[in-house]
Amino acid sequence: MARLYEHQGKELLSKMGILVPKGRLAASPKEAKGVAEKLGRSVALKVQVLSGGRGKAGGIRFAMTPQETEKRAEELLETEIRGIPVQKILVEEKLPIKNELYLAITADPSLRRPVIIFCKDGGIDIEEVARTSPNRIVRKQVNILRGLREYEARDFIRKMESISSEDIIPLGSIMKNLYDLYRKYDCKLVEVNPLVVTEEGRFVAADARIDIDDDAIFRHPELGLFSTEETGERPPTKIEIAAGKIDEGDYRGTAHIIQLDPDGSYARETNKISIAFDCVGTGTSLTTLDELVDLGYFPMNFADTSGNPTASKLYRATKIILSQPGIEGYLFVSCVSSQQLDNTARGIIKALKELYPDSGGKPNIPAVFTFRGGWDEEAIKLFEEHGISDSPWVKILGRNAAERDSALEFDALYRKWKEETGGMED
Amino acid sequence: MEGRDRRYGRLTIKEEVLEFEVFSGGKVSIDLSKCEECHSKACVQICSLPTMGRVLELKDGKPSLKKDLKEIKKGGCTECLGCELECELKGKKAVQIILPTPELDEYLNELKNKGIKPVYVMAWRK
Repeated sequence: MARLYEHQGKELLSKMGILVPKGRLAASPKEAKGVAEKLGRSVALKVQVLSGGRGKAGGIRFAMTPQETEKRAEELLETEIRGIPVQKILVEEKLPIKNELYLAITADPSLRRPVIIFCKDGGIDIEEVARTSPNRIVRKQVNILRGLREYEARDFIRKMESISSEDIIPLGSIMKNLYDLYRKYDCKLVEVNPLVVTEEGRFVAADARIDIDDDAIFRHPELGLFSTEETGERPPTKIEIAAGKIDEGDYRGTAHIIQLDPDGSYARETNKISIAFDCVGTGTSLTTLDELVDLGYFPMNFADTSGNPTASKLYRATKIILSQPGIEGYLFVSCVSSQQLDNTARGIIKALKELYPDSGGKPNIPAVFTFRGGWDEEAIKLFEEHGISDSPWVKILGRNAAERDSALEFDALYRKWKEETGGMED
Repeated sequence: MEGRDRRYGRLTIKEEVLEFEVFSGGKVSIDLSKCEECHSKACVQICSLPTMGRVLELKDGKPSLKKDLKEIKKGGCTECLGCELECELKGKKAVQIILPTPELDEYLNELKNKGIKPVYVMAWRK
């Protein structure tokens, strides 16, 4: 899922004719002050991070003057929101709020159609409202083939209690425009929370959360998004962006790679050893990962190269995985499947030979390869033929090895390697 | 022969080099001048196996393309890398496959500028 920053989302809302507060993005206190001077009124400063609960985490401040704006911006730019350093702030006019509403459009998988969600209590945690007062939230299904007509939106709003008649037309129009945005940009979610009703009676989108469907990213180059795995509340790393390119437009198997501990800080804090990791099959990945963590290792990345990927995918994936600085080992485990493992092996071997040209592909870190499944014997033979198995720091396992065996073998190899080589230089 | 099919790929036989593009964005290059002395023809052998792409065939004692460029570029070559690795083991090291990774290169350049080395270029302590 590719999530847009608030300022990007607001840009799209504005393009679709939905009012958003006047403002601009700032990367420094001075810039923030400049925006406040231009606006000439009280402002809201909002950190631009992808995580939710930003307000509760102290990521939204208000300022009355440009000088105060500069000070608040300085404070915000020195903070981290849920571990993510703040790099940019959206400085925008502070709205004179009369009322706050909630409006969202998402896909309901059980209905297999878009659903409009509306609540008269905006600006608060909608999940909490759904839990405590579910009847305050109303939903409307949309027939994706017909789309949403403006009169249908107005009709939906008309049925709600305490919506005044003069609000029906503007609200209906916003709902229709939001739905058009949802469809135009292949969204998974568009959420405006809160949709502010100002004292002058204007409807303004005070926040915007827009999630684009990963599989549709290629249709929207104008958004500048990357086809990466789900990275949650942080932007994708360069490794993840490089890995995301492997599967882009190539559906011959998959290479799912995500960094669990991009800078190795978690491993350091918990006294674990950072290693590189790749498995065939997510179940095998998770099981092996559990075994490794118990033994004192923490994979810097999660990887699943399955669905019978081409050898070229494995080549690229292996190069990317082994380029993570600070790793002290590499473990590859395949699940028992019909994947053509000789091709998998060829991809890994080509990558190893390129990364370690002087040793003919023998890695300088402990590496365990477990081949189980289709063409596993051929895969093991290829490692032997190319001389990689001869390395004292390489262990090849076959179909009799379970995930735990692979992890234990890796542990034994790592200890021996560490003792004999002293590990990698600083 | 050059620029046979601009849209779907390019076949170049220049100074006895056979080159063709593959679906994922890359190039297979075979130095045919080395193939005369090769007795194994390992590239053609592996490519002809039922589970492989069957792109190469032997013509006048040298590897040649069995499929048209359009088909190869669209995925006819299954990118098993078998031709390169088999030629390296049993042939004359005539096959070279280049599979670009520009985003990774960019990342590695960034690391270099920061003075950070990937592990594969580092030495052991002892």
